[in-house]
Amino acid sequence: MIEMIKVSKEYPPDVVALKDISISIDSGEMFFIIGRSGAGKTTLLKLLCSMEAPSSGLIEISGKPINQLKGHHLARLRQRIGVAYQDFKLLIDRTTAENIAISMEVSYKKPQIIRKRVRDLLEQLDLSDKHDTITGELSRGEQQRVTLARAVANSPTMILVDEPTGNLDAATTEKVMTLLNKCHKGGATIVIATHDDSIYRHTSHRVMELQKGRLHGITGGELP
Amino acid sequence: MSFWLTVFRQVGRNLRQTWGSQLMTLLTVSLSVLIFAFFYLIYANMLTLGDKLGDDLSLIVYLEEEPGPELQQQLRNKILTFDEVEEIRFISRAEAYERFAKQLGQNQDVLNDMPKDFLPPSIEVIPMKNLRSLNQVKLFSTYLSRLPGTLKVQYGQDWVERFYYFTKLLSIIVLLSGTLLILTTIFMVAYTIRLTIHGRQAELELLKLVGATNNYIRTPFLLEGLLQGAIGSFLGIFSLYMLFQWIKLRFSGPSFLNLFEFSFFAPEVSFTIITVSILLCTLGSYSTMQKFLRI
Repeated sequence: MIEMIKVSKEYPPDVVALKDISISIDSGEMFFIIGRSGAGKTTLLKLLCSMEAPSSGLIEISGKPINQLKGHHLARLRQRIGVAYQDFKLLIDRTTAENIAISMEVSYKKPQIIRKRVRDLLEQLDLSDKHDTITGELSRGEQQRVTLARAVANSPTMILVDEPTGNLDAATTEKVMTLLNKCHKGGATIVIATHDDSIYRHTSHRVMELQKGRLHGITGGELP
Repeated sequence: MSFWLTVFRQVGRNLRQTWGSQLMTLLTVSLSVLIFAFFYLIYANMLTLGDKLGDDLSLIVYLEEEPGPELQQQLRNKILTFDEVEEIRFISRAEAYERFAKQLGQNQDVLNDMPKDFLPPSIEVIPMKNLRSLNQVKLFSTYLSRLPGTLKVQYGQDWVERFYYFTKLLSIIVLLSGTLLILTTIFMVAYTIRLTIHGRQAELELLKLVGATNNYIRTPFLLEGLLQGAIGSFLGIFSLYMLFQWIKLRFSGPSFLNLFEFSFFAPEVSFTIITVSILLCTLGSYSTMQKFLRI
């Protein structure tokens, strides 16, 4: 599913965010990326969703080099990737429902399907009463869940999640992880960048640790 | 959901969010079209008027002597060398006398003591009935006055010159207002779309990230420009039509306007103005997208 070969990312003037990262993530795998702040977790996710281009190296998703995709092909790929950003990227003047629906609207889903999916997700994330609330009025934790709901709404084949539990209490964290596990069981490849050890401590999935932009080690995991 | 349904929803949302600037653009487009169409309407009517006045216009070339058939042919060729004309008539001294007598009617006895050849022979040149010929009359007259054996040339010099300068002035105004229309519509539409793009930067970035295609993002902006062009120019033409009807109604009766038959644009002309406005607005929208909407 995902192949990264000697991928590096540098920001001017001379900040090395990632250096020679090579990993393979199989289709349907749940994969954790851990490391301290500034280790390069977010950068790696940005490269995977082609939000940014690598300075060097090759990234392939389903056999296609993503930094060479453009226009229609890139859009189609992005429709198959759901991303929950660390900074949420919510439209703060729109309602919760509108924010979640946006990822389905771009792939021209029918309005009744969108409405049903939005209600289901809000229920799973304990946000049913926030359906028509402007997201700018939600708490950080609620905004984080809306971001996650938007990421999974279009039933993508790959879900990238950046710090999914950063603003959540234990009970809500469990709900979020339940939703992600459900998507994983549905066949989606899940990549979670986190420094919250409570969500990967007892996991059977692979965990990759980054340190100062370099791959420090990969532990655990049996490929599904 | 179909592509177009989504696009129309986006357009509706944009219009709601930026209705203030959209309204200003619409007014500007309407006003530009109104100004241009107003002057163009006057110009078009002046052209028609010129054609009509041209019907009565003739140049009379007074000759020293009556030309024989051969000289008549030579003069005819000379005249046609300058321009095509509607008709060339040679009037002999006798014909001139008869005409004059006829014009005098009951008073023709004043001619009793006069010899029948006291009037000079002449050539009546009737120019083509179009504005170009009308505007060329002065040059034509100079040309005719230089023909051998010419005494003098007469025509309605004063009004022809005034009319010529008036239509020339109008054509400049039409050109200027046309340029104004082009510049203002492109600029205003481009500016409004630019404002919309800036106002929706976060949303556009998100749309790209969730996999919106270029068409999905760009079509609503193009459609906005197109709508502004269509509605704005329609309003402009419609306002002019109402103004035209009002003036016609208000000044009906024995007035200056009744000397000429003023008419509104043919439907094809209105349609062309609207189409050009739509194209200009869409162009304004497109140029802004190329500049500010990086996908």
